[in-house]
Amino acid sequence: MILPTLLYFILFSIFPLADGIKMSFQDFRFVGASSFVGIKNYQKMFTTPGFWNVFGNTLILGLSNVVLTAFVPMVIALSLNEVVHLPLKRGFQSILYLPHILSWVVVGGIWTFILAPGGLVNNIGAIFGKESVYFLAISSYARGLFIGINLWKQAGYVCILYLAAIAGINPAVYEAALIDGANGFQRAWFITVPELVNTLKVVLLLNVMGALRIFDQVYVLRNEVIAEKVDVLMYYVYTHGLEKFNIGYASAVSIFIFSVTFVITLLVRKVSKYHV
Amino acid sequence: MSNYHMFRSRNIFLLCNVLFLTLLAMTMIVPFLNVLAVSFSTDLESYENTIKLFPKTLSLSGYVNLFRRVAILTPLLNNTFVTVIGTLSHVLLCSMAGFVLIRSSFPGKSFVVLLVTIPMMIPFQMIIIPVYVTMKKIGLIDTLWSLILIDIVSTFSIFLMKNYFEGIPRSLEESAIIEGANEWIVFSKVYLPLAKPGIATIAIFQFVSRWNHFLPAVLFINSTKKYTLQIALKSLVVSSELTSTTQSVANNARMAGIVVSVIPLLIVYIFAQRYFTTGIMVGSVKE
Repeated sequence: MILPTLLYFILFSIFPLADGIKMSFQDFRFVGASSFVGIKNYQKMFTTPGFWNVFGNTLILGLSNVVLTAFVPMVIALSLNEVVHLPLKRGFQSILYLPHILSWVVVGGIWTFILAPGGLVNNIGAIFGKESVYFLAISSYARGLFIGINLWKQAGYVCILYLAAIAGINPAVYEAALIDGANGFQRAWFITVPELVNTLKVVLLLNVMGALRIFDQVYVLRNEVIAEKVDVLMYYVYTHGLEKFNIGYASAVSIFIFSVTFVITLLVRKVSKYHV
Repeated sequence: MSNYHMFRSRNIFLLCNVLFLTLLAMTMIVPFLNVLAVSFSTDLESYENTIKLFPKTLSLSGYVNLFRRVAILTPLLNNTFVTVIGTLSHVLLCSMAGFVLIRSSFPGKSFVVLLVTIPMMIPFQMIIIPVYVTMKKIGLIDTLWSLILIDIVSTFSIFLMKNYFEGIPRSLEESAIIEGANEWIVFSKVYLPLAKPGIATIAIFQFVSRWNHFLPAVLFINSTKKYTLQIALKSLVVSSELTSTTQSVANNARMAGIVVSVIPLLIVYIFAQRYFTTGIMVGSVKE
């Protein structure tokens, strides 16, 4: 009964990883024999300026996403926790979670539309006398917008993790603090926040593991004007591997992302274990 | 500080807090209202430069064009097919695997557990190239089956089902065996019916994720006839923005595309909200 599962995992997960490593050392061809080229693909990777550019973009977008989608939802969760009226709290929570279940195409479509000239944001800006601009085609705005939209999509999801942790705190601790005369801020800062550290670590770890493989958002929201600022490693792999069919080279980049993610994940695990 | 002052500053804080959350919620609601309003506007009015939260003249023209000119029906049906078949197979296969894993011991168990755990550390994005090559070799490129096959099992779902099965008393199984039930009967008649919340959780997560599947479709699907919703939607709502000089599809039809693709998700979300929370919790605890 577990046979189909094992077959799938071997054929579509474990074997492809091994295959990917092998292909990264090859000049891969679909037809005919692929020849081994040693570390040539990796050499090419490190000497191509385009690679360093997308690597830099990935680090900037990835790091911002890791930090922001860990801390901002924490603030929102603390804020939600102060809402006394339960149905109201639930309502906020449901609305904030909503963007997370939408695909990047839908989210990208909505934001492209409302950020376009004549779109919602420009029309609101017009009230304050701002001139209409094409936000997503201004390269200095691009990264900020990408990070912001990602936060908009993911915040509600991470928020739920924090809220669950808050719900697990013993109410007696709060009562004791109240008797001791602690105000709202003191209770949040000295009782709630320390209890959220473990959840924060989990969130950071999850964020780190996903940081270098952003693809959907970039694929949907990029355009040629802002490409230089927002094209990321996975997009690079996609274009080189499956549009230009440089299979060997794209595999080398994939393996590189995989290894870097692996090392960073291990580091984050180690650091978060020892520095509590 | 006097009690009165404390009471007052607390109330001011609570008010500001609710205002802050309302503002956040508005950033979610207003764009949706805008999309909805534009989708129900007339062709011409969908281009108006106003803050549109309600359609001026109610019109279904956008939806009519979405099905007539954009021909969204095929991608919609493809998407439904892939989502339904994929989710059902996922639930069945993961339940079966989880059921095997609760056996206390069988030959090679630790190896099997290893095989099931390792793929969690190999994200799909990192192996797209070799998976593409494999798909090509087995002749599934440009078929909907390739999309059903991807993610047909996942470590997450298998362990979630295993946890649910572990909570079911063994005595039920033993009495079934005494009455002559075989493994399959025990699985389908004893374990599956008692693990309904687990099934609901993984089914809902699969439904949402498959409905939104994008990268696999971008990779494996070439011909227009096989397009899934997200690919069709992508060319409808985003790519035309910068590249083309003439907009062939009016704004109302483009926004109607978004509305139509979101409705199934909203329905699932509204009726199964509690399973989302359990699923998220299980997912993060596992890490």
